[in-house]
Amino acid sequence: MAKILIIDDDPDIVEAMRIVLESKNYLVSSSKSGDDGLRKAEAEKPDLIILDVMMETISKGFEVARDLKKSQKNRDVPILMLTAIKESTGLDFKNEAGDEDWLPVDDYMEKPLKPQELLSKVESLLGGR
Amino acid sequence: MENLAPQEGLIERIYWLIRLRWIAVAGVIFTVLSIEKIANIPLRSLTLYTIAFILGVYNLIFFLYLNRIKRNSPPDLPTIANRVANIQISLDLLSLTALIHFSGGIENPFIFYFIFHMIIASILLSRRASYLQATFATALFILMVSLEYFNFLEHHYLNGFVAYSLHANKIYILGISVAFISTLYLAVYMATSISVKLRQKEKILQEANLLLEEKDRIKSNYVLRVSHDIKEHLSAIQGCLDPVLQGLTGELNPGQKDLVRRSSERTGKLMSFVRALLEITRIKLSKEMETGPFSLRKTAENAVNFVEARAKDKDMRLSYNIDPAVDVITGAQIYIEETIANLLANSVKYTPKGGRVDMKIKDKGDSVLIQISDTGIGISKDDIPRIFDEFYRAKNAKALERDGTGLGLSIAKEVIERHKGKIWVESEEGKGSTFNIVLPK
Repeated sequence: MAKILIIDDDPDIVEAMRIVLESKNYLVSSSKSGDDGLRKAEAEKPDLIILDVMMETISKGFEVARDLKKSQKNRDVPILMLTAIKESTGLDFKNEAGDEDWLPVDDYMEKPLKPQELLSKVESLLGGR
Repeated sequence: MENLAPQEGLIERIYWLIRLRWIAVAGVIFTVLSIEKIANIPLRSLTLYTIAFILGVYNLIFFLYLNRIKRNSPPDLPTIANRVANIQISLDLLSLTALIHFSGGIENPFIFYFIFHMIIASILLSRRASYLQATFATALFILMVSLEYFNFLEHHYLNGFVAYSLHANKIYILGISVAFISTLYLAVYMATSISVKLRQKEKILQEANLLLEEKDRIKSNYVLRVSHDIKEHLSAIQGCLDPVLQGLTGELNPGQKDLVRRSSERTGKLMSFVRALLEITRIKLSKEMETGPFSLRKTAENAVNFVEARAKDKDMRLSYNIDPAVDVITGAQIYIEETIANLLANSVKYTPKGGRVDMKIKDKGDSVLIQISDTGIGISKDDIPRIFDEFYRAKNAKALERDGTGLGLSIAKEVIERHKGKIWVESEEGKGSTFNIVLPK
């Protein structure tokens, strides 16, 4: 079954996502910080990474996404980014996801996450593999 | 503080002076005509008309010049405006002296019209400049009187108005001079005392206003932080409730399911409220909106799509008509779409089943008019003035829909005003409402 790594510093959200994803038998591991997440990604080589945009700093998620896309091992692993960023920065993500230089992620989701929405995004990101 | 120059509104005051000068030109012509024709006093009318003409010419030049600098608005605009005001008043004093000289000199009672110039100077200029203008007027007066007295300049006797020529009467000259010069200085003293005080007050008010804006900004920042924190927790709560509700943690009994559903719904409502609060606060704090050209037609159609399903659920007729001339305008597309969608959603929400919602967009040259009308519950007269206030909800709206943030229309207003547009509502309770937006292209 596909391995999913969640990088998010909010333990409650991680737990809720874990329950949703495990209900479809995905193998879920998680990490509470960007740097730890990068290490885990290198070690575990997941099939999908769910990444929160705001962790230690407002842009930590962006940095992690860029580092992941640079890494030899994880270059092709799809990233689903979680944002609550529209409310705090006014940035609209609709047109930005997929722009390799600006925001190198494959899809994004706004918090709060509806279980069905999360599962269908995960499925479609993994579907291509 | 003494020489506090009036900068705010100086340009407007100079325009006022220009308007006054047109009246003065007409006044001179009218007065000369009536004195000659009605009072039968011989005057150098051609010379006087010529002076009136010159007055008109330089007034026109100042008017055109002012329009130009106002359009270009150079950084040193206040300095230029100040200089222009000084030059104008000096030229006016010269013209008035010439007019007086050619119509009787010291015998002419209109000599006291110099007072008006002193008052105008006190309103427009700093206190020091006003006293300088008074001194210039005094010098012109003394020069005219002495030149006429020593016959270096011809005296134009006002035959029929004064019994005999007064220009060489020492006592008369002395009396008029003392009265005239003291009047000039006293007028400046009094008028500047008032206007300097007014300017000080104006400055204090401006400072107070700035302080209020700063306080408001601090408050907004605070609201932004607090709501953001609240939203994070809400996200987590909702994220935890939803898997439970969907049975991902095991089947719930009906009672559990009902309570979890209620909790989830309430969290959702609180979330919408916090989102709206975040949005209006963020717009208020942003100095500038990112704007660019976009198709208003497409944007409006998107907004219609957004509410279509909801209108259908209520068996409503949702129609729209966009003037073919309306297309690309400049603005913040996302916000405009949201605003139109918001108004449409409001109309759908507050219109009973089977009602109508209609949107019209008309081309108005350099702006567009967006009208969204419905056959809904309307807004009472008492509520109309407050409907755009933050957190305010009309009584009948509250009765119909218990939940609502009271922020939708204040966000719309903020967005439209940021675009230098206007938004207002016309409504009759029980019959329906029309929301109007004027947006510059």
